[in-house]
Amino acid sequence: MRAVTVPATAYDDLPYTRGGAVDRADVGALVQSAVDGDAAAWKALVEGLSPLVWSVVRAHRLSDADAHEVYQTVWFRFAQHLGRIREPHKAGAWLASTARHESLKVIRSSRRLTPTDDPQLLDRVSEDRTPEQSVLDSEEAAAQSERVRRLWQEFEELGERCRQLLRVLMASPPPSYQEVSAALGIAVGSIGPLRQRCLRRLRARLDARGVL
Amino acid sequence: MNAHHDNSDDGYDEAVLNDAEFDDGLLEGELRGAAAILDPVPAELRRLAVEAFMLRDLDARLAELTFDSLVDAIPVRGVTDAPRMLTFRAGELTVDVEVTERGVMGQVLPPQPARIEVLGGLQPTAPATLTADAMGRFAGDVPTAGPFALRLRTGGEVVVTEWLRA
Repeated sequence: MRAVTVPATAYDDLPYTRGGAVDRADVGALVQSAVDGDAAAWKALVEGLSPLVWSVVRAHRLSDADAHEVYQTVWFRFAQHLGRIREPHKAGAWLASTARHESLKVIRSSRRLTPTDDPQLLDRVSEDRTPEQSVLDSEEAAAQSERVRRLWQEFEELGERCRQLLRVLMASPPPSYQEVSAALGIAVGSIGPLRQRCLRRLRARLDARGVL
Repeated sequence: MNAHHDNSDDGYDEAVLNDAEFDDGLLEGELRGAAAILDPVPAELRRLAVEAFMLRDLDARLAELTFDSLVDAIPVRGVTDAPRMLTFRAGELTVDVEVTERGVMGQVLPPQPARIEVLGGLQPTAPATLTADAMGRFAGDVPTAGPFALRLRTGGEVVVTEWLRA
């Protein structure tokens, strides 16, 4: 999970620690507790790693229905495999990799493929309002809300590679590069440079539209 | 930021570089915030994942997926609706499954009778049950939309297949 075995590049020297160091430190211990039957540990794993699984599924542009099924399949299977996972601290990468493979299977069985670049996503109002969503409700936040929408729109229009990478990076807490690698099947060493390029490309788009 | 430790003349360049990295981090953070607003994990899915803990079948042996036609078979041109062929294995026991629009059929090997439950996630209703004959063959019009797994009771043991999305 940490960058120990990763060839150091300038990008790995970033001062901030991605999920690898802080938020994920307990994953191994939580997996072990869950194996021993601790439901609270399992719940903590779900809370901490759900956004990663969801981001991977969404990065593959699955429809809502397919995304829901893949997400469930991944967690059901994780529960099945709990006691057999060889490197519990890498559970995030295991989940990301499983989500990727199941997503690719959905894409392969094209009979049910319905890409999700539907613009309704931007207008969708979930029945369960997260705190972040509630912020959007206030009048004062209208400008902020507009900015979020335009940011999302520019993100959606990035090239496929950048869109995929950024969608996975958006998981909260931030995924480790090992997890991103498992999520997208790209080398850990290429993530930093690609991330930099994609973020700058996005910023250029925002600049051109006067969003920044 | 990497090999430059002589902070004499390139201090300015480093500052520019660090600013750029800092901006990247900010933009990524802003995207993270946008995702939390516009495309969060649906609450019901989070709940299902929490409940998946109860699905663990501690007494059952896990049969792992060893063949999936979706991945391992070469597609035949023009055949768009080929059935999904799956093979699961737990030690000596193999379960071949064919999933079609109408249901499932398959065979337990070595041939033996078995009771087979078709699990479909956290459904409140009892799972559909199939019976494998003495040759290990089974079939049934069981819809397998969404995630599913098979739970087999053979002679002395319980075997459950890996969850899969049909």
